[in-house]
Amino acid sequence: MVKFTAEHEIFRRTVREFVEKEINPYADEWEAAGTFPAHELFKKAAKLGLLGVEYDPAYGGGGADHWYTVILGEELGRADCGGVPMAITVQTDMATPALAKWGSHELKKQYLEPALKGEMVASIAVTEPDAGSDVASIKTFARRDGDEYVINGSKIYITNGTQADFLTLLARTSPEGGYRGMSLIIVPTDRPGFRVARKLRKLGNHSSDTAELVLEDVRVPVTNRIGEEGQGFYLQMQQFQKERLIAVYTAIGGMRRAIERTVAYLRERKAFGGPLLSMQYIQYTLAELIVEIESLRQLAYAAAEGVVAGEDVTRLATMAKFKAGRLVRRVADTCLQFHGGLGYMEEMWTARYFRDSRLLGIGGGADEVMLRVLTRTEGLEA
Amino acid sequence: MNIIVCVKQIPDPETPASSFRVDEAAKKVVPAQGIPPVVNPYDPQATEAALRLKEAAGGGKVTVISLGPESARDAIKHALAMGADEGILLNDPGFEGIDNFQTAVALAKAIEKVGQYDLILMGRAAADWDMGVVPMGVATLLGIPCVSIAKAIERVDGKVRVTRVLDDGFQTVEAPLPAVVSVSNEFGEPRYPQLRQIMLAAKKTVQVWNAADLGLSADQLGEANRWLKLEALYVPKVESKVEIIEADSPEEKARILAQKLRADKLI
Ligand SMILES: Cc1cc2nc3c(=O)[nH]c(=O)nc-3n(C[C@H](O)[C@H](O)[C@H](O)COP(=O)(O)OP(=O)(O)OC[C@H]3O[C@@H](n4cnc5c(N)ncnc54)[C@H](O)[C@@H]3O)c2cc1C
Ligand SMILES: Cc1cc2nc3c(=O)[nH]c(=O)nc-3n(C[C@H](O)[C@H](O)[C@H](O)COP(=O)(O)OP(=O)(O)OC[C@H]3O[C@@H](n4cnc5c(N)ncnc54)[C@H](O)[C@@H]3O)c2cc1C
Repeated sequence: MVKFTAEHEIFRRTVREFVEKEINPYADEWEAAGTFPAHELFKKAAKLGLLGVEYDPAYGGGGADHWYTVILGEELGRADCGGVPMAITVQTDMATPALAKWGSHELKKQYLEPALKGEMVASIAVTEPDAGSDVASIKTFARRDGDEYVINGSKIYITNGTQADFLTLLARTSPEGGYRGMSLIIVPTDRPGFRVARKLRKLGNHSSDTAELVLEDVRVPVTNRIGEEGQGFYLQMQQFQKERLIAVYTAIGGMRRAIERTVAYLRERKAFGGPLLSMQYIQYTLAELIVEIESLRQLAYAAAEGVVAGEDVTRLATMAKFKAGRLVRRVADTCLQFHGGLGYMEEMWTARYFRDSRLLGIGGGADEVMLRVLTRTEGLEA
Repeated sequence: MNIIVCVKQIPDPETPASSFRVDEAAKKVVPAQGIPPVVNPYDPQATEAALRLKEAAGGGKVTVISLGPESARDAIKHALAMGADEGILLNDPGFEGIDNFQTAVALAKAIEKVGQYDLILMGRAAADWDMGVVPMGVATLLGIPCVSIAKAIERVDGKVRVTRVLDDGFQTVEAPLPAVVSVSNEFGEPRYPQLRQIMLAAKKTVQVWNAADLGLSADQLGEANRWLKLEALYVPKVESKVEIIEADSPEEKARILAQKLRADKLI
């Protein structure tokens, strides 16, 4: 069993208070607005050290162990909306891990440090209109011209896309197809030729802005590349591990809170001569969900232990992401169901949670993409 | 400026009533299962006050003392994570079941042992028993002034200026240093521990002093030597009865209601 230290628990309270004071009071407003003030909120988060938990203190990181990231995710997941936690974790664990691990010192000074201070907002730009699950078929091209790359292409469904100061962009840097010939490049959004084509309207996660981006002859220095030329796909695959894990931790926190709130409601709600919580069907259904959530949590903690030990956790992270994507839909659906008509009302948290829950099985690699990875890790190929 | 802050660990006051139990025979509160104890809510305000005074003074040291079981170390760590410099845990089997006066004696001894202090800060009361007498006890034992229930604290010309919370307003008083000041929630929000400070706190050592280290003798320790005897401990039974007043007109109903309220001496 994982035993968190007193310091971990203090950090948990810090994140919980941040969520309760800096996110929840504004969640309705930001959901209605379809965006949130990323620069303002990220600066507040940065002050508490929430944006660079594990990163090198030389660039403003916390130098903490991976369990702090687990806690960050679990507590952000308890927020009153899914969008803002997603936006924060894009900044911390999706758009910056490769930069922190393989970026040059100068590149980290220029982009990582301000990102960890909340002065710059980051996006991860991989998906394209014609390439999502099949990352290897992306078309955005970065042509070398002297000391610069000239980038052309478009990216879609990009979180933080309307507010980002820079993108961690996956692009082709040589014409060979497939997994080879891609690079990860930091693209500042103030360059000529970059534009936000449109802000996208979504089913859920309304408080997070999602955009379609267009790059036309955008020039960036070659030194903005992370790691070696042609290694982009492999670096992004590793960066995806961080993305999947934080998404799982966040989902776990959200599900636990959803069950807590549903139990509290059913304890009070009376029907057929007693509280609804006294119905065996309800008790058993909830007990079963709690087992599922706890199983997922232990799986995630096993993956986290692997991260702490410096192991490759692809297998466990993929399993956990798959399980979380499916389970969160069941939990959200059941919680809504057990609230009856009230659960269907917009004023009740269940309606938003139900909408938001639908994303995890698609974003960060669809359920089927996880299964595809697992056919390899589990040796299921004939 | 050297400041000592006394913090206490208590059962979580947010514990749902359904999991809160009192053992009436043993006259003890049964700790709720699975709900970890927390820092007394007023105490981070005392720590916050200490940190602000230290910052305003441009230097000094904030030492945190907690008397309690081994788990009270977490209350100290919380203060260290807010930015306090050193921690001391007062832990001894003889401290089990002691009352506020015995606690004040032990704290006063510990403060004397620390030696250098300009100011001692505490929460206005502990939210478990809500007595608020330890600050006065400690000040009396040390022979220094005590100012209670502060909403603002300032150091002015070697003295401390404190704005106190009254029922119907505020009062500003001054006391020479050293002094004991108890801090109220009106002081304002304590800072939340930043990750960087939490990481630093993990490296700070917490000293542990037992009764012998404080020079306390057996007749000052333990439940047997309490000054204050607990006679009974129980959860009051709240019963509600509804009575519907029947009458022909609203005026008549109101008249009957007024009579009943007067009979029960409620108006
Ligand atoms: C709200 C939101 C935010 C997002 N944020 C970002 C972001 O910040 N950055 C970014 O780069 N991307 C982002 N995405 C994009 C996301 O990563 C992709 O939507 C996802 O990877 C799926 O790709 P796709 O949409 O192209 O679906 P497709 O690749 O077209 O797949 C469609 C469906 O087909 C099925 N499928 C796919 N592959 C297989 C297979 N091999 N076998 C069987 N079935 C399969 C799956 O059910 C899948 O959902 C975001 C998406 C959303 C909705
Ligand atoms: C959009 C909308 C339109 C509606 N229109 C109308 C209308 O026009 N007229 C009208 O009269 N009503 C209307 N309703 C109300 C609707 O019929 C009720 O919401 C529904 O009957 C459920 O009742 P409830 O909301 O009180 O849920 P509750 O009775 O509180 O039940 C909550 C949940 O508890 C569970 N549950 C309930 N009983 C049991 C049991 N015995 N054992 C196990 N689990 C149980 C179920 O999952 C249920 O969903 C509408 C509702 C909605 C959402």
